[in-house]
Formats: sequence, structure tokens, C-alpha cells
Amino acid sequence: MEPNSPFQRTLREFWPLLILSALVTAVVVIIQAFGDPIVSRSLTEALIRLVVVVALFIFIGNSGLMSFGHIAFMMIGAYATAWQTMPVMTKGIFAPGLPEYLLQNSHHWIPATLIGGVAASVVALVAGLALMRLSGIAASIGTFAFLMVFYSFYLQWSTWTAGQSSLVGLPMTTTPWVGLVFSLVAIAVAFFYARSRFGLALRASREDAVAAQASGVNVQVQRLIAFVVSAFLCGLAGGLYGHFLGLLTVDTFYLPLTFITIAMLVVGGMNSLSGAVVGTLFVSFAIEILRVLERGVTVGVPVKLPANSAEVGLGIILLLVLIFRRTGITRNQEIYWPWKPVVSVSSVTRRQS
Amino acid sequence: MKRQDTLEISGVTVRFQGLTAIDSVTESLVSGEILGLIGPNGAGKTTLVNVVSGFQKPTEGSVLLNGRTTGAETPHSLRRRGVARTFQAGRLFREMSVLENVAVAGVGMGRTRAAAHAEAMELLDWIGLAPKANLIAGALPYTDERRVGIARALMQSPHFVLLDEPAAGMSDLECDELMRLVRDIRDRFGCGVLLIEHNMRVVMEVCERIHVLDSGRTIAQGKPEAVRNDPAVIEAYLGGG
Repeated sequence: MEPNSPFQRTLREFWPLLILSALVTAVVVIIQAFGDPIVSRSLTEALIRLVVVVALFIFIGNSGLMSFGHIAFMMIGAYATAWQTMPVMTKGIFAPGLPEYLLQNSHHWIPATLIGGVAASVVALVAGLALMRLSGIAASIGTFAFLMVFYSFYLQWSTWTAGQSSLVGLPMTTTPWVGLVFSLVAIAVAFFYARSRFGLALRASREDAVAAQASGVNVQVQRLIAFVVSAFLCGLAGGLYGHFLGLLTVDTFYLPLTFITIAMLVVGGMNSLSGAVVGTLFVSFAIEILRVLERGVTVGVPVKLPANSAEVGLGIILLLVLIFRRTGITRNQEIYWPWKPVVSVSSVTRRQS
Repeated sequence: MKRQDTLEISGVTVRFQGLTAIDSVTESLVSGEILGLIGPNGAGKTTLVNVVSGFQKPTEGSVLLNGRTTGAETPHSLRRRGVARTFQAGRLFREMSVLENVAVAGVGMGRTRAAAHAEAMELLDWIGLAPKANLIAGALPYTDERRVGIARALMQSPHFVLLDEPAAGMSDLECDELMRLVRDIRDRFGCGVLLIEHNMRVVMEVCERIHVLDSGRTIAQGKPEAVRNDPAVIEAYLGGG
């Protein structure tokens, strides 16, 4: 085949998108073929997390700023969606403070989820005007504070969120196939964002904010765009999560979920979309194996790990990655066209200075 | 004739908590002119470049671009108005390709990705780096790094280019190439060039006018041959330093 035909060049350019979509689809098809309902539920949860981790990549990977606040966007999306989709009967009991229109009506989950995503991105736009002025550790602390503020706020806002207890009766519409569709959409959004002029400008600011400014890049605005886009995807994931669990508790959207999603991104490689996808699949799979071992299995001899081994295992995986492979499983590279050598940072000796 | 743009530095003073880095410096630059800015280490050359490119607000005085003050401009908005700069340390986007490094300045100024890539490729071709367009910038040798930085500053044909010590660490042969490049920049883009340099040979040969700073003060201004023989300049370079 002609190595530089237009077809091959196009194929090569979109290769990461194609291969990652195929990978995720293959995983879903294979697992669904076994038809185990418990594994199928774990799969759905992993796909929802995949949407969140890909959203985290859009912001963290391209801007180089750490965010501990994105689970708050998931929560905002989850509740905004639930307020629309819950049956009218249960709404009055659990969220009597809702406006009259919402109390009287119940909507289909698809438009409701999209509106949930929009709600999250509107909050991101407003909060981001302040947060995106921060850099480095200050930005991390700022986003962390943002998470705590919204967590406390939703916990106290009991006429809308049921506070310490739960909103129940959400239609359980999130199947693995729904999760797959949203994952593929998230991957495509991340891919096209990263290769757009906005992604390019933001990555430049990640590498050197001063030189980016000197090149005409409005760093704050570029960060804000990524923040809003990633909040939208987190909002969608929140909507899906509510309709996966069937009930919503504010406690769901706090530190454990924040850390597990960030761990997935770090394990995979923070600066590449491939890292986000591979990291989520790898960590989800590892956790699932450990959970099975916690319950106990017999492989010739009975094996049973103590409770919470999954959390310990995740901690060990994260430590090993941080010690031995700081750029993650994918070394921060995309999965590229395999039939032609590509020069990468790691394969070229860098000038020391 | 091309348009005539002017860049005026008018009585600029910068103080950092009592330390005066620049003391009422006045200078001006027009399209098509190559102005040299020299002085010993710590003379305030880079601080002056930072003021002109919007990274540093002057304590007193102002910078005027085509007669309008740039006091309210940010570095990125000044770049859009046509004042571009390079950096002493290169400051490339190390994990990105050479082509992307240059294209950033195009998308930064609102061009589409395709238009920015096309213009960047054209500039790289002109500056002799087209074969390395797809290499990672962090892997480039020193001299190529400078060229990428200069190409990045030339995107969208700026009116003024500030080159911050482009010859630092270069051999004589590489300096010759650089001098040719600086003249080429002026001829091709018709822009005004402010060349900050330590290398006296480069400055003397390529600049039409020279401005000498010492401890933030202007000690000489004028043609290269006049500046070369100025006792104050000789004193600053050979005496205190």
C-alpha cells in the first residue's frame, strides 16, 4: 500500500480514536456475551467511570492542572437529572422543595441527562471564572474546596436532595449498552477537542504558560473552555450513575469516587486519551478481580482475601505506577499507527540542561 | 512601501521594591529597522523586553504602539496587536512537535487549526526546519531550538519582533547564520527588530542603531561605530561589568 496515500494519512490521524473505540466496544461485547448479571453491573459502573475519567483527561491532561472538583459536577448532573426523571409520586415525598413544574411532571431520561450535563457546565463556567485564574497547587486546592463546598451544600439542601437520606425510585435505565454509547461519545469529544485549536493552545500553556501567552494564547479562556467541556461530560456521567443505582445519596459523590477516578487517570497516563481509557479498564478489571477474591473463590484450593483488599490493591497499583512509571501505562503517548516508526520523547535522548 | 509602524518606549522606569531595574529609558523603533540593545549582565535588558511585550508593567512611563499606550494590554493581546518576542531560554513546548510549537502562535491568534498548520509549515520551510517538523521539540539541538522560537514569533507577520539573546552559546559560524537570518526577517516581514545580544560582533554587524544600558540607565545611543568608541561603553564593558 502507498504509505502516504490520503486514505492512509487520514486513517493514521484517527487511529487512536478508532482503536480506543474498538477496544471499549470489544470489552463490552465480550463481557455481555457471558451474560452474568453481576459482572454486567460492574461493567456498567466501569463505563460510567470511563466517561468521568475521559472528562478528567480533557481538563487535567490538556491543562496540566490537577482537579479534585470534577465529582461535584457529576453530583450536579446526577441531581439535576433525577429531579426531572423521578416519578411524580416519589418526588413529592423525597424532594418536596422542587418547583411546581418539576413536581407535576416527569421526563424521559435522555433529554433529562443532557440537561443535567448543561447544568454542570453552567456551574463550571461560573466557578471557572475564578478557579481558572489559579495555577499549580493553588488550582488543586481551589478545586478541592469547590468539591467540599458543593458536597456540604447538597447535604444541607434537604428539600431538594433529601440531605442525609436518599432520593429513591429513579428509573434504572442505564444498561451496559447505554454506558457504551456514552463512553464512545466521551472518547470522541475528548479526541476532537485535543486535536482542535483549543486543545493545541491549552497544551501549549501546560508546557509553558509564559511562552503560550507570548504566542497570543489567552490561557485563562482556554482553561475555562476545557473546564466547561469536561464538566458537561461529568454531568452526563452523573445522570447515568443515578439511573444505574436507582437512588442518589450525596455521600456517593465525595472523596472515594474522586480518588478512584484520578487514580485511574494517573495509572493510565494523565496526558493521553489512551491513558484515560486504558487506565480505567485496567483499574476496573483489577478491582473486580480483587472483589471476587474478597468474596472467596476456589482455584484448586480455597482463596479468600480480607475485606477492603480492593482499596489496598488500588493503593499498591498507584504506588507502583508512581514509583516505576510516572507517565502511566501508556507513557503519556497515544496508541499510534503501528506500522511505521514514530519518534517519541522517550525514544530520543533529550538534551540535559 | 509597506506600512510604517512605530513602537515608542517613553521614559520607562521599573522598580522592584526599591531596586531600580530600569531608569527612565526612552527609545523608539520603526518598521524595517534593526535596533540593538546591549549592556552587561543585570543591566536591565530583559526587563525592558518584558515591559515592551507586556509581561511587566512599568512603574513610570509608558510604551506606545502606533501612538496608543499599551498599558492595559496583556502579553497575549499585545502579541495579537503585532508585538512578538522570543525567550533567552528558548521556552519551547517541549513535549509537542516542532510544527505544533509554531502553529500554537497561529491558533493563539484565532486562526483555525488547518490555517495555522499551513502557515507554520511554510515558516519552517523558510527557516530550514521543515524536515524536522514532526520531531518532538524537546529533542532538538540548541541552535534549532532558537530557530523554532524565532519561527513561532514570526507567525502572523508581527510588526515588531524582540529577540532575547538569540546568539547565546553559539559558535562563530552559527552566529554568521543568525546574522543572515535577522536581516532576512527584516527583509521578508518588513518588521522592526529589537535585538538583545551579548555578542558584540553580531550586534555591531547587524544593527543600524544601538542602545546601551548599564545598571538600568542609558549610557549611549547611536550608530555602531559611535557606540563602539564611546568611553562610557568601554568603561561599562571593560571596567565594572
